[in-house]
Amino acid sequence: MAALASSSSSSLLFTSPPSKLPSPSLYPLPRFSLPTSSFLSSSLSISPSSLSYPTASRRHSASSFTVRAAAAGKKKVLIVNTNSGGHAVIGFYFAKQLLGSGHEVTILTVGDEGSDKMKKPPFNRFSEITSAGGKTVWGDPADVGTVVAGATFDVVLDNNGKDLDSVRPVVDWAKSSGVKQFLFISSAGIYKPTDQPPHVEGDVVKADAGHVGVEKYIAEVFSSWAIFRPQYMIGSGNNKDCEEWFFDRIVRNRPVPIPGSGMQLTNIAHVRDVSSMLTLAVEKPEAASSNIFNCVSDRAVTLDGMARLCAEAAGLPVEIVHYDPKAIGIDAKKAFPFRNMHFYAEPRAAKDILGWEGTTNLPEDLKERFEEYVKIGRDTKPMKFEIDDKILEALKVAVAV
Amino acid sequence: MAKLVVLQPTKQPPISLLSSSLSHFNGTKLCQIQYKRKVCQPKGALHVAASSTKKILIMGGTRFIGVFLSRLLVKEGHQVTLFTRGKAPVTQQLPGESDSDYSDFKSKILHLKGDRQDFEFVKSSLSAEGFDVVYDINGREAVEVEPILDALPNLEQFIYCSSAGVYLKSDILPHCEVDAVDPKSRHKGKLNTESLLEKSGVNWTSLRPVYIYGPLNYNPVEEWFFHRLKAGRPIPIPNSGVQITQLGHVKDLATAFVRVLGNEKASKQVFNISGEKYVTFDGLAKACAKAGGFPEPEIVHYNPKEFDFGKKKAFPFRDQHFFASVEKAKHVLGLKPEFDLVEGLTDSYNLDFGRGTYRKEADFSTDDMILNKTFALQS
Repeated sequence: MAALASSSSSSLLFTSPPSKLPSPSLYPLPRFSLPTSSFLSSSLSISPSSLSYPTASRRHSASSFTVRAAAAGKKKVLIVNTNSGGHAVIGFYFAKQLLGSGHEVTILTVGDEGSDKMKKPPFNRFSEITSAGGKTVWGDPADVGTVVAGATFDVVLDNNGKDLDSVRPVVDWAKSSGVKQFLFISSAGIYKPTDQPPHVEGDVVKADAGHVGVEKYIAEVFSSWAIFRPQYMIGSGNNKDCEEWFFDRIVRNRPVPIPGSGMQLTNIAHVRDVSSMLTLAVEKPEAASSNIFNCVSDRAVTLDGMARLCAEAAGLPVEIVHYDPKAIGIDAKKAFPFRNMHFYAEPRAAKDILGWEGTTNLPEDLKERFEEYVKIGRDTKPMKFEIDDKILEALKVAVAV
Repeated sequence: MAKLVVLQPTKQPPISLLSSSLSHFNGTKLCQIQYKRKVCQPKGALHVAASSTKKILIMGGTRFIGVFLSRLLVKEGHQVTLFTRGKAPVTQQLPGESDSDYSDFKSKILHLKGDRQDFEFVKSSLSAEGFDVVYDINGREAVEVEPILDALPNLEQFIYCSSAGVYLKSDILPHCEVDAVDPKSRHKGKLNTESLLEKSGVNWTSLRPVYIYGPLNYNPVEEWFFHRLKAGRPIPIPNSGVQITQLGHVKDLATAFVRVLGNEKASKQVFNISGEKYVTFDGLAKACAKAGGFPEPEIVHYNPKEFDFGKKKAFPFRDQHFFASVEKAKHVLGLKPEFDLVEGLTDSYNLDFGRGTYRKEADFSTDDMILNKTFALQS
């Protein structure tokens, strides 16, 4: 039942050494001559009295990030990024945000630069990283040291592995090469289902979940670490469909089949919120250290609600149809992009400890998403809805021709 | 308005759990938020309200919230007056309260007898007395508050018990203090009162609880489940049972009311006050069973549209998601609820229902309608 939001990418790890080693030209002489040792970061932890309160004006604007970064000391950050799935977009936003804040960034994407996977977003937009001064490399995380050609980093974010086998080599290399802070993208999917939502940091997790072993190992090896447990994300450059699933049906005037009651709560964050939380952890390493953060937006939405919001964003009506997957022999995991249960975590630790604030505003964000959806012509793309048809047939629901 | 029922005298001897419960309402418990290494303490959050003695008026105070709140305030050394019609005794000894604590409280609490709907009387009596702070915990309409404000031009603080029921129903949750409110809701009187307070210029604070529970609850929240569990009956829950609600213990609410007293950070602010975790309807049934030491309940789901219950309520909660974030109170006031759900329900059970006391007699008529139909279909 450990179905996670992102598709499994661990099977795509290459065991043979990468065919192309990064050429020396990818590691030009540093443009900045600032010392790389960590300094000032500890003195810059935001004191509790300046924590933002929900009703106060947003203090963590982009400009204040830049100011803080400069004072906190420029960091050299390595992002080990998955090459597919719902989490892929995290590394893309994080890289750009770090670069915008004046940090040095290398993003190591699993696999080959030339693979078909790289034709999809966010990978097909990596020029946005390089033009901002970031470095992009490809390879096998198990050989990370070689792939980055011996470069050293202050911070590593593993946004790839889901089990100890895939993350251990990165952790071990990071430790031995002097990385100070290790960050890991885990998953809120490891929380044990509860009838007392939300999932908060510290709640019981499923002991057999792969991520759990990774979290434990990181905590053993590093003294400065932070774990991030995301749920679902929307945002331009996403590798996996989220809101598109709803748009596809709404623009074609098709019913939206939702399993169960439709009252199930989920958490859909704009990836910029995920990125801002990670950036705060980089810039406040002492505050972040030894903490788990639910990396989600600060509001939940029901499944029916998401359908309605997508329809509103599209300016179109929506017909929601509920069904019992078991009763009609449907695998809900294949039929529907979200978990068929309450799956709802809150970002309490990030707010309490990092002073993080969420900016996700689904009604507004979905409008933007719909504009892009239409701009790329997906609204007129021919599509098949085989599973939908099966569901609707079983329920005897008419579909507009 | 429901009739006030005199509490049954306790027949059972105190049980060992009482000592912990007692400590919960003897004096304000100061709670700190602790994480692995960092303690997050907004400046002033642990500041105990009011180093000076205040002359405090509570509108109401003899039924549920006020019973606990008044004790905390008296314990803090304030002079506390309860404004009630006198229909219920001004004071009653609480289950688990020692004789000495009770007599101490009884000797100090003051009573102003009157009907708050008599606005002239309210204005004249309050004006004659003069109060520093007013807690309005039974007000429903803005007009009821006007005479209070008129009577007390130098009022230091007006603290209001509002309701999370004012929030506009939404697909996006939890309800936060900044969210849209519903001017057409059943609780619009609360909303209008908040607006009046805002416009009046008085230093006001408004607390919005969700569902309140705890010993002496006159709203059959936990009692509804306890009746059925005790009778060994199935628990009928409308629709899917995954609707999410939220309960807040009355003692935590009383603590919150004390925390905002004389607190600058609470000035002209609204705070949601309830439990830190929410709960599904099905989950609540199970939690009540745990609290009362009952076996796991049989839950029966039904479609309420298939029944005509007349004027009777077949289930004590709104059939929808209804929960509010209490993060603002946590961050601004340093408030962390003491009770989690099962602990709180256990406290309620041990001090109230479990001793044989309750407010409403069990009425299983709607249950029987549901169960008859459900089992008829199954046979």
